[in-house]
Amino acid sequence: METALKLNVNGEVRQVLAPANHSLLEVLRERCGLTGTKHGCELGECGACTVLLDGEPVLACLVLAVECEDRRVETVEGLSNGAALHPLQQAFADLGAAQCGYCTPGMLMTAKALLDSNPLASEMEVREALAGNLCRCTGYWKIVEAVQWAGRMSTGDMVPPQCLRERNAAGGCSHG
Amino acid sequence: MKNFDWITPATPEAAVQAAAQAGRAFLGGGTDLLPLMKSGLREPTGVVQLKGLTGMERLELTADGITIGASITLAALCTDTLVQRSLPAVFDAARHAATPLVRNRATVGGNLCQRPRCWYFRHPDYACSKKGGDTCYAIEGENKFHAIFDNTTCNIVHPSNLGPAFWAHDAVVVVLGPKGERRIPVAEFWVRPEEDMRTEVALEPGELITSVSCKPLSGRSGSAFEEVNEKQSYDWGLVACAARLTLDGDKASDVRIVIGAVAPVPLRREAAEAVLNGKVPNEAAAWAAADAAIAGATPLRDNAYKVTMLRACVKNAILTAAARARKS
Repeated sequence: METALKLNVNGEVRQVLAPANHSLLEVLRERCGLTGTKHGCELGECGACTVLLDGEPVLACLVLAVECEDRRVETVEGLSNGAALHPLQQAFADLGAAQCGYCTPGMLMTAKALLDSNPLASEMEVREALAGNLCRCTGYWKIVEAVQWAGRMSTGDMVPPQCLRERNAAGGCSHG
Repeated sequence: MKNFDWITPATPEAAVQAAAQAGRAFLGGGTDLLPLMKSGLREPTGVVQLKGLTGMERLELTADGITIGASITLAALCTDTLVQRSLPAVFDAARHAATPLVRNRATVGGNLCQRPRCWYFRHPDYACSKKGGDTCYAIEGENKFHAIFDNTTCNIVHPSNLGPAFWAHDAVVVVLGPKGERRIPVAEFWVRPEEDMRTEVALEPGELITSVSCKPLSGRSGSAFEEVNEKQSYDWGLVACAARLTLDGDKASDVRIVIGAVAPVPLRREAAEAVLNGKVPNEAAAWAAADAAIAGATPLRDNAYKVTMLRACVKNAILTAAARARKS
C-alpha cells in the first residue's frame, strides 16, 4: 500500500505516493526525479546518498521517506542559485576535487552542513566531518582543500588555494 | 526490504502497546534495523517509530544519576558538556562510534540493541548458529575480527561502544514492556550465546529501552574509553576498553575495567580491577592490570593480534582515566 507524503525538498513542497518501505533515497530518485543524490552501498557505509534533513547531514539510504513528512530535505539539486554555482560547487570544479564524481553530491552536502556552522573549519575539522563520505579516486587532499577554500571565500578570506596546504601545515603562509 | 505497517505512537506506553503484536519492530535511528531488513535478517510486519516519544529524548541529572533518554543520538551525546564532564568514558565511546553521518541518526537504545557485525551472521547465505543453524562458521573460517574470549559456541563480538562505557559508570538500563517498567543493572543486561543464541540482550519480546541512568564522576575521579580500529577515520572496534577510577590520595580505588569488541558481550575484568585497586595508577600498574585483563584469552587462527592490542588498549584507558582524575 502506498501512502501520500508531503515532503519539503529544496524549499519546494512535493506530494508523492510511496510505500512505507521506501527509503528517502528511493523516493528522491524514483518519485521526485532528483537523481543527483547517489545510490551507493545502501548500508550507511559510503556516504554517497548524503542529504540534509532539517539542516543536518544524514544518509538517505537509512532514512524512511515516511519519517520525513513535513521536514526540510536539501539535496545537491538545491545548491546552485539558477546558473550560479554554490561556492562549494565552484571550489570543487576550480580545484579539481572530483574525478569520477560519484561521491561528489554527498561530499557537497556534508560540507555544506559543516560550512553553514563553521565556515573557517580547520583541515582536521573538515576531515572529521567528511569521515563518512568515501572517495575512491581523489585521495581526499583536493576535496579537503576545496571545502576549506569555499568556506574562506564565503567569509571574504581570499586565500589563494595553493596556500591552503602551506597554511594547514604551518599555520600561515606568505599570502597571510 | 519487505513492506510493513507504519505505526507512529505518541508515548512510550503506546509504542509498547503497538509492539505487543508479534512481528513488530521498534525503529530508533534505523542505522542497524534498516540494513538488517534490507538483507532479510529481519522482516517485521509493522515498524513502530520511536522518534518524539515523551521523555525519550531527555538528558539530565536526576536522583538516579545522569539519565540519558534512549532516543538521544550519539551526535547529541558526544557534544554534551554534562556528559563530557561527568561521564567522560561515555562521551569518548559515542565520539568513537561510526561516522558523523551515522551518529546524527544512531541512538543510545539502538547502540545497545544492535546486532553483531559477524560477516557470517550478516550474510544471507550462511545459516549460522545465531540464525538457527548448528555451526559457527567463524570457528573454522575467516575470524580476524572475531572473539578472543568466551568463543567456543559463537564467535561474535558485541559491537556496542556504549555498552562498556555505561558499565564503567555502573549504568542501569530502564525498560518498559507489557508488564510495566523494569530496571536492569547493565551487568545483567547482556546475554551470552550459551544462555540464548537468538539475542545478545536481556529484553523480553515487546520491551523497549526508555533510558539509561549512569553514575556520574564524583570527587577525584576520571573515566575513559579507548578503542583501536583498523581504519582510523571510522571502523568497527578491534578492541575496546572503558576504565573508571577514583583517587584516594595518590592510590586508585573503586576501579572499573570493562572490555569490548573481544567477546560475544562486553566483559568486566574484576581481576584487573583488583590489581589496580590500592596502587598508584602509573604506567607499571596499568600494564599489570592490562596483563590481568587479557588473562585467559583464547584467540582463533586469525585474531591473536587482538590479545596484544587489547593489552595496550586497557593500559591506555587506565592511564587516561587516571590523568583525568588527577586533573579533576
